[in-house]
Amino acid sequence: MVPAQELTGRPARRSRRRAGRVSAGWITSFCLPAFALYGLFLVVPLVTAFYYGLFRWDGTQRGEFVGIGNYREILTRYPLSDEIPAALGHNVLFFVGTMAIQNTIGLGLAVLLHRNPWGKRLFQTLFSLPYLISPLIVGYIWSLLLSPTFGPINFALRAVGLDAWARPWLGEPDLALPVLIVVNAWQWIGGPMLIFGAALAGIPQELEEAAAMDGASPTRTFWSIRFPLLIPAVGVITVLTFIGCFNIFDLVYALGGSDGGPGGAMDVLGLLYYRTAFRGGSNAIGESSALAMLIFVLIFGVSLALERTLRRREVH
Amino acid sequence: MPSRRGVLGAAALLAFALTACAPGSGGDSDAVNLKVWGWRQEDVAAYKKIFQSYEKAHPGVTVEYVPYKNTEYDTILKTGLTDANGPDVAQLRSYGLLQPLVGSGSLVPLDDQVDTLSGFPKPILDGAKGEKDGHVYGVPFAIQTLHVIYNKKVFADNGIAAPTTWADMIAGFDKLSKAGVTPLANTVTDKWMLPIEQEIFGATTYGGPDYLTKMLNGSAKFTDAPWVKSLETWKSTQKYWPSQASGVSYSDAQALFTSGRAAAFPGGVWELAGFKKANPQLDMGIFNVPPAPGAAVDKTLVPGYVDGSFGVSAKSRHRDAALDLVRWMATEQFGTALSNELQQISPVPGVEPQDELLAQALKGYQANPSPYVTYAYFSGGTPTAWDLASEAFSDYVLGRSNAADAAAHIQRGVDQWFRPKN
Repeated sequence: MVPAQELTGRPARRSRRRAGRVSAGWITSFCLPAFALYGLFLVVPLVTAFYYGLFRWDGTQRGEFVGIGNYREILTRYPLSDEIPAALGHNVLFFVGTMAIQNTIGLGLAVLLHRNPWGKRLFQTLFSLPYLISPLIVGYIWSLLLSPTFGPINFALRAVGLDAWARPWLGEPDLALPVLIVVNAWQWIGGPMLIFGAALAGIPQELEEAAAMDGASPTRTFWSIRFPLLIPAVGVITVLTFIGCFNIFDLVYALGGSDGGPGGAMDVLGLLYYRTAFRGGSNAIGESSALAMLIFVLIFGVSLALERTLRRREVH
Repeated sequence: MPSRRGVLGAAALLAFALTACAPGSGGDSDAVNLKVWGWRQEDVAAYKKIFQSYEKAHPGVTVEYVPYKNTEYDTILKTGLTDANGPDVAQLRSYGLLQPLVGSGSLVPLDDQVDTLSGFPKPILDGAKGEKDGHVYGVPFAIQTLHVIYNKKVFADNGIAAPTTWADMIAGFDKLSKAGVTPLANTVTDKWMLPIEQEIFGATTYGGPDYLTKMLNGSAKFTDAPWVKSLETWKSTQKYWPSQASGVSYSDAQALFTSGRAAAFPGGVWELAGFKKANPQLDMGIFNVPPAPGAAVDKTLVPGYVDGSFGVSAKSRHRDAALDLVRWMATEQFGTALSNELQQISPVPGVEPQDELLAQALKGYQANPSPYVTYAYFSGGTPTAWDLASEAFSDYVLGRSNAADAAAHIQRGVDQWFRPKN
């Protein structure tokens, strides 16, 4: 680094004092827009939702204060009382499935590309390309591909004699959620692959060489050296996957509509919120605000807990 | 001092940005510009033409149709009606979806303002009424009717005609199946279509308007035999639906029909214009399902409902001019213009559609009307029967529940808020 006085020709002391004086104001002015945006788009809606959720509404007219009345209403009124746990269950399954499929395959791809640098850039780009497409478009394209009537996937399966495999993919309650997990993984697999790739590249060569000299097999090296050092990356990916899976809306909406597909098999909290807010009758604002608060508390709380647990397991 | 200047600069920028976003005020006081909000972006040109004749007869008044995205309209309108800068006149959804706007006092009651409303048939006005106070809040502008829309050429090629008995219809469907044509392009994936399909095939089984009267006064329920049986009647046609119907979406079903791979499509008259656009060569006819074996009535019923109405915002700065406009919307002149320009069925008494199929639909509906029960009459509370029916029917046709379970799901949901009127 070039010392400041060499650039300006002024004594360092004065410059430092001036830098100190300037920075306080500048820092404030640079932070202000970010704080304003954060406040306007995050804190204000959150506080508003909490406040709105405490009242009964008649359309857009605020009615009497009901306290936890809206919370009680959405947790006890049929069929919402059944739909909330069902949707939560689907979010959990979706998270578990995504961890198992997207992140495991992502890790596998990262290891493969780490070992064989040939074509690394090309494959990294290819696997990350679906990132550029909006989940809504991904959803609509996949629902066309999977259509039992006009879809090329079933057409191809029938063409090679696999008629029994040509299922109504998005129409069978037992298949819909697995299909959602796979389509979602198809879009986002580049994420874990890149994060794991960067983490793998950051592992000091000496450790792996030492293990090899001690006669450790590649599998042993992976589980004893690489994986423990990947834990911080696993932590980041787990938290991001959790938030992504519990906030999912657009892709499910495109694949299964606002009702969450056949027999509600893909119904998730995001869709439930959408239905409560936009098809929810007179007190839609009160009830949907209460539901939004419950979802927020759940995601925020679990994310914090996950982060803490995984931090503790990190190897330093 | 640079630091203070920086802060002030940022603050000034923010203040400028905020003022730039603030809504403008004013408009001049002589000329009246009425803003009519609606959800039909595709109808802007037609409404412009329709309103031109009104402007000619009312110098100094201009009428502007401002469309919003269909799916976002309800939310935008809720907010718009709280502000004088919002609409003067607004297109309103009907039945249950209208109630939040009535509840918030956003609309002007029209009973005493629009005399000609008394000439509208009662079932039509039901769609624009506040359920609690019984006042009419809008001038109905369109009726939607439900039918089986069929491909005349495919029917003729297979030697069948529009059926007059249930047995005829089934024999025709069998013939089509044997010939490798899908008889009915039903969707299962898009659940909101399921209650429509149920009304089309099941109305005669439960009995239509007479059964509705009993339901409204509390002497009949969804769970009673006639209504449960109507689900079975509808599901008995399942073997004529597309193969793997559970994965067939609404747009797949439409494409099956317009491409000629399916002979018929059970749906609303609103489909006709889209079908014609997708395949201009398509020669279509409509029929309604004849009474099923064991039906409660011996006539062919035509299910229908009011699609929407035009109401006046309580916050409008030009209430008198807005009321004049909706009075005009209840006249034959407006009804005829709407019917011709938009290919819709106008509910204004005495207006005949020029389009042959629409005329047939209206005639059928006037002769033997049947309600769209779950959407129209049990949608004033939460959860609506329409939402409950969509969910329950999805499970039912997927074989995950039986007709009695499906009916029980609806009844249990509705019982939480519905109180019979004696």
